[in-house]
Amino acid sequence: MEHLAFSCLSVLALGFALGVVLSKNAVNGAMCLLLCLAAIAGLFILLHAYLLAFILVLVYAGAVVALFLFIVMLLDMQGGQPWRFRAMQALAGFVASVLLIAGLDMIAVRGQLASGPPAPGAVGSNLKLYAYPLFTTYLLPVQVIGFLLLVAMLGVIVLSRRTGEAGRPT
Amino acid sequence: MAPLDTALLVLLTPLGSAAVITLLLARRGAAAAAVSVTASAAVAIGALSLAFGGARFSASIEWLRFGSFAVSLGFKYDDLAALMLAIVGVVGLCVHVFSLGYMHDDPARARYFGGLSIFMFSMIGIVLADNLFMMFIFWELVGFSSYFLINHWREKQSASDASKKAFIVNRVGDFGFLLGIILCYWTNGTVSLTELGAAHAAGALVYSRTIPLLLFCGAVGKSAQLPLQVWLPDAMEGPTPVSALIHAATMVAAGIYMLCRIEVLMVEPALFVIAWVGTLTALYAALCAVIQSDIKKVLAYSTLSQLGYMVAAFGLGSAGAAMFHLTTHAFFKALLFLGSGSVILGCHHEQDIFRMGGLRARMPLTFWTFTVAVAAIVGLPGLAGFFSKDAILALAYDNNPAVFAVLALTAILTAFYMVRLWKIVFLGKPRSEAAGHAHEAGMSVTAPLVLLALLSVVGGYRGAYPRGFEGILSLVPEASGSTHMVVLGASLFVLAVGAAAALAFYSTDGTDALQVRFPGAFGFLESLKTSFDTAYDYYVAKIQQRFALILNFIDVVGLAGVVVRGVGGAAELVSSGLRSLHTGRLGNYVYWFLFGVAVLWAYAAGIL
Amino acid sequence: MSPSLESYVLLSAALFAVGFLGVLVRRNTLVIFMCLELMLVAATLALVAFSRFNGTGDGDVFVFFILTVAAAEVAVGLAIIVALFRTRHTIQVDRLNSLRR
Repeated sequence: MEHLAFSCLSVLALGFALGVVLSKNAVNGAMCLLLCLAAIAGLFILLHAYLLAFILVLVYAGAVVALFLFIVMLLDMQGGQPWRFRAMQALAGFVASVLLIAGLDMIAVRGQLASGPPAPGAVGSNLKLYAYPLFTTYLLPVQVIGFLLLVAMLGVIVLSRRTGEAGRPT
Repeated sequence: MAPLDTALLVLLTPLGSAAVITLLLARRGAAAAAVSVTASAAVAIGALSLAFGGARFSASIEWLRFGSFAVSLGFKYDDLAALMLAIVGVVGLCVHVFSLGYMHDDPARARYFGGLSIFMFSMIGIVLADNLFMMFIFWELVGFSSYFLINHWREKQSASDASKKAFIVNRVGDFGFLLGIILCYWTNGTVSLTELGAAHAAGALVYSRTIPLLLFCGAVGKSAQLPLQVWLPDAMEGPTPVSALIHAATMVAAGIYMLCRIEVLMVEPALFVIAWVGTLTALYAALCAVIQSDIKKVLAYSTLSQLGYMVAAFGLGSAGAAMFHLTTHAFFKALLFLGSGSVILGCHHEQDIFRMGGLRARMPLTFWTFTVAVAAIVGLPGLAGFFSKDAILALAYDNNPAVFAVLALTAILTAFYMVRLWKIVFLGKPRSEAAGHAHEAGMSVTAPLVLLALLSVVGGYRGAYPRGFEGILSLVPEASGSTHMVVLGASLFVLAVGAAAALAFYSTDGTDALQVRFPGAFGFLESLKTSFDTAYDYYVAKIQQRFALILNFIDVVGLAGVVVRGVGGAAELVSSGLRSLHTGRLGNYVYWFLFGVAVLWAYAAGIL
Repeated sequence: MSPSLESYVLLSAALFAVGFLGVLVRRNTLVIFMCLELMLVAATLALVAFSRFNGTGDGDVFVFFILTVAAAEVAVGLAIIVALFRTRHTIQVDRLNSLRR
């Protein structure tokens, strides 16, 4: 049963990922990204990481991809050019990806992941167990992340100011 | 005041005077002259007080240190240094006072006095130095001062050429000197004179033939022995007081002084070479002096000849005899030069002796002091030169009859040309307008003449020297027994023969009798002088210049081209290669990123 | 009987490679950005898989941080792209090469 679910979800995820890469229209690409994220959320659920699955859908798919769609529609619609297929580039890209997979796989094989221990009970399903290390062991990263978000907000505000005629920010 | 402090003051006062003149008084001749003369007086007083005080000391401080090699600066004030310092002080003072009058109308007076002060500083440094490195430093400084002062009238091309010639020829000698110092340090581990002396006394010194001969090269250069004597006659382009101080009494004597300082390193074969170099120089210079028509050139060759005597004396084994002759020579040679300066001044800067004459009546003081000096140099009994020359002749007779014969012949020649000079300049009728109107110069010119004349008279009597100098003077050999009679007879004979021949042969009619009656001999003697210069010219033009051109080619093509620009070019190649990475295209950068990651993986996987 | 760890990791690697391919091949800056996000998500998948199979919760917690950072990065990056568009009036990367040489 799980194998079936895994196979379907992985095929979907890969398919939509390829859709992102190969789609001519940027909006189509964003939609494919959305569905890919949904598939990966499914995979998370298979891995008993329920909270993370929901967070992925809510934050990533809901906010980030939405933001992407906003910007795409703001910019691309006005001057986007269709994507042309260039053989040399495609071949180079394909070779690079194959190399990447091969490399990662070699590390996986070297690490002998196949013979790892069988999965014990999922830890991620318990919210309390999830939250507890977040606020004890990983408290510092949490605070830093908060600071990072603050800086990112400020950065976005500064960067998106419209500059006037003489270059002064208005 | 402690003797060390006095010595330090004596050394540094002329330096201070030179600094003040250069920085503040560069245009004020009178003030500069006053400062310089005061400094010189201080030096003379200091030197004499140190000598009579009887204190003998040595002190040094370490100056530079490179690992186990150290250069130190220090004083070694023993009897030898005491005598030399006194000579430098007294003669220096006389020359400074003389310069007040002689250079009175010179526009660049301040520069001249600054140069004199620097010279005094350098010379005192040589005298007081306690190790060979320090002596070498001051040796070079003295060479520089000589260059500076010869070149005083720098508008004249001949003066510039002469100063360059002096410096370069000195440099050649100094190269040998430096090699000798390095070799001495290498074999003996020290160049300090005190330590060398101690090692010699303990029998631990390493003797070799090369070290003293290389060190002697320095003396050959500085004291103008064969074959490096070519610079001294040309150095007469400088003002006469400079010739008196530097090229007669003190600087050229520095070579002799240095030889006496390194006496402990001497070995028989080296001494043999030194003796013969000195003897041949004496003979050669005397021969050249016979035909000169410039009053200063005659005196220059005479100096060369007497220096040869001193070197020969040292080579025969007696540093005492050499120093004694150095002392008396300093007195009468300085007197001769200053007297000639007075004559030149009186004849309105006329230096050709065939245009002088009849000055006996017109410049009596100069005449009498000059006569005393001439008598001293030819060895008239009773005067200073007689005793010192006698000592050398006695030494030669006892040790090396061949040297004795040559030195005796030279003595004849000395008498011959000196009396020739004296007769043509002072006797007879005035042969030119200027000579006809000659008159004595002021007190500043004549007072030093009188003082030096006095010293030339009494300088030969050992009793006349205060107790302070006993140490050196006791080393002067005394002839005894049959040697005494032979030498006495010989010196009287050479004096008589030479003087009589000159008086009879030369006339006061304005022509050179030798040139007129024996033109062949005259031509031969002239060629003696020019042969050395011609040989050097040939060497420089044909050999050295071609070698220099080859080196220049290597430098331009090899070093500047291949090495410097080649390295630059290689760097440019690398940089342009790296620059091509900056395409500005995102895709390229990502590919490079992947490449880097792949390399890291390969490394981690153990492939690389 | 769940799929082995290796298959999850392989899937994650494949997704990562696809994202990388997209970064290399596409010329639209926004699509490149989306592929970057794809790569990030692939990494989170691997992390969660490891966390599940090792029995610790650290991997999950780390994914939390990755998501936050990805969000911040997207915000700032898109702001930069918008600012760039305002001056250059293009978002094709092969026209944005004024840092060349």
